[in-house]
Amino acid sequence: MDEVLTVSELSAGYRGRIVVRGIDLSLRRGDILGLLGANGSGKSTLIRAITGQIPLTGGSVAIDGIDLTAVPERAKAGFGLAIEPHELPAPLSGRQYIELVASIRGCAPNDLPSGDLPSADLLERLELGRWIDRPIAEYSLGTQAKAAIVAALLGQPPLLIFDETLNGLDPVAAWEVKRVITALCASGRHAVIVSTHVVEAVPALCNRAVLMADGRLSRRWDAAELAEAGRAPGAFEESVMQALRMRTAA
Amino acid sequence: MSRRRTRGTIAVTYFNIERHDDGPMRHDRLVLILLWRELVAGLRAMRRRDLAWIAFGGGGLLAYAIADIVIARHAAAPKLRHDQLLWTLGLPLALAVPGALAGNAVSELSLQRAFAPFLRALPLAPGQRRHMAGEATLVLAAPLVLSVAVSAGLACAVIGTPLALAWGLGAAILFAISFGAAARWRLRRPRVLFEEAGSETTPIGRPWLRRLDRARPRWLSSWAWKLPGGHMRLSWKLAAACLLPAVAAILGAWASLAGRTAGPAALAGLAGGILVFMLSLRCQPLGSPVLRTAPIGFTRVWLRLVRLPLQLSLAFFLLPAGAALAAEPSAWAVPVAGGFWLLVLNGAYAAFGAYFLNAPFVAMLSFAGALAYAGYETFEYGRTVLIGLAALVIFLWHRTRQRYRNG
Repeated sequence: MDEVLTVSELSAGYRGRIVVRGIDLSLRRGDILGLLGANGSGKSTLIRAITGQIPLTGGSVAIDGIDLTAVPERAKAGFGLAIEPHELPAPLSGRQYIELVASIRGCAPNDLPSGDLPSADLLERLELGRWIDRPIAEYSLGTQAKAAIVAALLGQPPLLIFDETLNGLDPVAAWEVKRVITALCASGRHAVIVSTHVVEAVPALCNRAVLMADGRLSRRWDAAELAEAGRAPGAFEESVMQALRMRTAA
Repeated sequence: MSRRRTRGTIAVTYFNIERHDDGPMRHDRLVLILLWRELVAGLRAMRRRDLAWIAFGGGGLLAYAIADIVIARHAAAPKLRHDQLLWTLGLPLALAVPGALAGNAVSELSLQRAFAPFLRALPLAPGQRRHMAGEATLVLAAPLVLSVAVSAGLACAVIGTPLALAWGLGAAILFAISFGAAARWRLRRPRVLFEEAGSETTPIGRPWLRRLDRARPRWLSSWAWKLPGGHMRLSWKLAAACLLPAVAAILGAWASLAGRTAGPAALAGLAGGILVFMLSLRCQPLGSPVLRTAPIGFTRVWLRLVRLPLQLSLAFFLLPAGAALAAEPSAWAVPVAGGFWLLVLNGAYAAFGAYFLNAPFVAMLSFAGALAYAGYETFEYGRTVLIGLAALVIFLWHRTRQRYRNG
């Protein structure tokens, strides 16, 4: 099965208030989707709905062909989510956190993708090694993001989700993570969702993009459009801003 | 606003902090404002259905409880009026202990706000923060003391004690003194500051719980108990938590062995066992997206969180239970029944602990309250009342499971 994520007519929100509605989205293996949108546009709510953190008020989500509402535990085995840094278990050390996630996913704590450097250790490449035995509470925001990303990659699930996690990384770590993401998707076994405010990073990393506004998908870019927009400097940002302005004017 | 500007004042409306250009920043009410905002935000975050349940269901239950108590006190009025032990020891204790507990809790609540991480950057000395917390504690104490005065005065009027008003006033003074003493003690030792300093000296090495916390999912108990890196730090609180049940167990065992009767040791084992379980059960990982987005179900996580506290509770129970058996071997059913009831009570509390996952103290109070109320009604109406308690436990467990699955 090529489709890793199938979202149909999804609507979700908090305590009866619908925040995202009418979302149709599907991701195939090899896709890297850039999820864009202003603050409060519904990006994080959509990710929470896809990852089973909030109930769906309508529609359905299937991860790797498994319905999230019907069999949540099985469906959740199909994705790895980089948890927001402030939600990590602060008392545990980075190593303990990785062991915790590995024990839940039923894989070895070193079952990590290595990008195009098969022998290299991802922890060392992200410069996480010297922090790994200290409590997460003592980490900087960027180091916490690295721990969250490593945990998301554990067991190499078919769908990887990064909710603004890449924003806090230092240049070396950001480059390493992007290299791993690109290599994973090039292997044809994985798909990735990257939610970000860094619009200019999207054409370089992603082969698809969507823009969220007022809880709906207001604009989509396929691989060809994204490649075209990425050719001229600033062209993609311009098209995103134009879409946002049109939405505001409407 | 313009009038304020002419007086040289800038108003920050969100926190209602007013800064006077010609004087120090006025922030005395900051802790109170934060607590008020939290309360309002908490109420707004609740669904109307839940609010209605709390207001009408809770209100109805409270009205019934008050009516029940009034009738019971009225019926027992002559006996209560002449009970010397009640007036000389029972009532003062019943006022002083809750007063001290409330003073400790309210001042802790205020201190946490005064030393909140987002306020660290403000130019406020620790003394000023303590002062802010103290003022908030004082303001919050007023309605509590008033309610004690009214309740005690009414209770005295119901049983026909002369000078009911004076008794109400006296009760309020006693409650206020114990509240104030505990609050003052807590405010002079802001533990939050020491914890912050202590976190910098987290030891590195092999965590003490390594062997016990190896079951899947690994390190869950270290996380639940907030042990930095799985290391346990010795503290007076931990020492007291270990010492008190140990003394109770030894005294119970001694009483049983001396009197050749199984009762005291079995009772000490049961009470100490449930106390150990309540003190050691922590369920806050159940609310974390780390577990909620992972391929693991609620029941498995819940059972894993319960596992170590249950082991500790049963390990504690074994000493007094063994003493009970040694004291009166023919009464073997007494410690066996104690063990059975310990399991039942631990299971019931585990549902409360999971429901109030971020507030273990509230979980303990609610469980003790539910247990006491069910016990009281059972004496009045028979054992069928226990079905209500069982239904409440199942309901809490179900709601917690729903929350884990759907947020």
